[in-house]
Amino acid sequence: MTAPTAQLARPKESAPPSGSLELGTELPMVGEAAVPFLEIETLRAKEFIPAAKEALGSLIAEQGHAKVIRPVFNWAGRNSLFPLHWGLACCAIEFAAAFGARWDAERFGVVPRSSPRQCDVMIVNGTVTWKVAHKLITLYEQMPEPKWVIAMGNCATGGGPFRTAYSVVPGVDKLVPVDVYIAGCPPRPEAMLDGILELEKLIRERKE
Amino acid sequence: MQPDDLTGVLAPKLGVRLKGVEPFPGTAGRVRFEREAALDLFRAVRDDLGFRHLSMVGGIDWVDHREVFYVLWSDDAKQYLVLSTDVPADDPRVETASSVWPSANWHEREAWELVGIVFDHHPDLRHLLTPDGYEFRPLLRSFKLHEPEELEVKARHV
Ligand code: SF4
Repeated sequence: MTAPTAQLARPKESAPPSGSLELGTELPMVGEAAVPFLEIETLRAKEFIPAAKEALGSLIAEQGHAKVIRPVFNWAGRNSLFPLHWGLACCAIEFAAAFGARWDAERFGVVPRSSPRQCDVMIVNGTVTWKVAHKLITLYEQMPEPKWVIAMGNCATGGGPFRTAYSVVPGVDKLVPVDVYIAGCPPRPEAMLDGILELEKLIRERKE
Repeated sequence: MQPDDLTGVLAPKLGVRLKGVEPFPGTAGRVRFEREAALDLFRAVRDDLGFRHLSMVGGIDWVDHREVFYVLWSDDAKQYLVLSTDVPADDPRVETASSVWPSANWHEREAWELVGIVFDHHPDLRHLLTPDGYEFRPLLRSFKLHEPEELEVKARHV
């Protein structure tokens, strides 16, 4: 399937330049949220901006806000998932490896950020102890909406090998809502990337 | 340094409160003492014997009583020394060593929260590894591994 970006960027060469905008073919989208996209000719900025405003306005009036704007937000959001840059235990090593040259998670727009204020997704990569529980909740609450949580590894999923230990939270879903679970002890970087792609599917289907 | 040398220095200071010095593999010996003598012993060991570095403080649960042990290192003699005292299980108190070796502070907090040894006059006896308000003493033999849900309910208030 061709990515929506490629479709938007491709100029239509055969048609002569004109000042009008017309509704073209539909973007391929998973689910029913298909957006008609605009065939945009080469225009000067002072012509383009009012024309684009008008076209967008009529599109929204016709299709509804949720159907036009929401897919664009979802598209932008799922291609720039910024996880919180922190490590709790051994899974953090695989988390770090996923951003190295070999697996290169940045090609999916996944860039770890050091401040929770700049993050969309919290990847809980390790054993959560009761001692760190309230710090984890604080970090989660400091992240701006919309936000997601990925439980990476058996420890974050259900306590892992330390499930009955005196100090370990048996699953981070006891503390924060989890969207995607990744199994493994530790999961390989491919598994982590797969979890991120699963999350992208979830975001693609987001309605509001 | 041999156990006999240690006895020679410590016995005049502690008297009957010194229960004996026995050989202990890899160290200069193991000094067993009454807990009332703790501070006197610590000062004597540091100032007269030159064990200026405290490596470790720990507790052992022997079910009928508990043991507190201290591992020391002397840079002059290049030797370790173990001090050990027994405390009753229903009153596991001993004087803090942190006034003699400041590094005892965190070790004693750990021994307190995991084995339940109470260190008198400790400057800051707070939880170190477990959350505040955690009511278990998990390294005691009476502690049962909990079903996660049970522990969760009790630890919820953290
Ligand atoms: S799941 Fe395994 S690798 Fe990951 S933090 Fe737990 S013990 Fe470590």
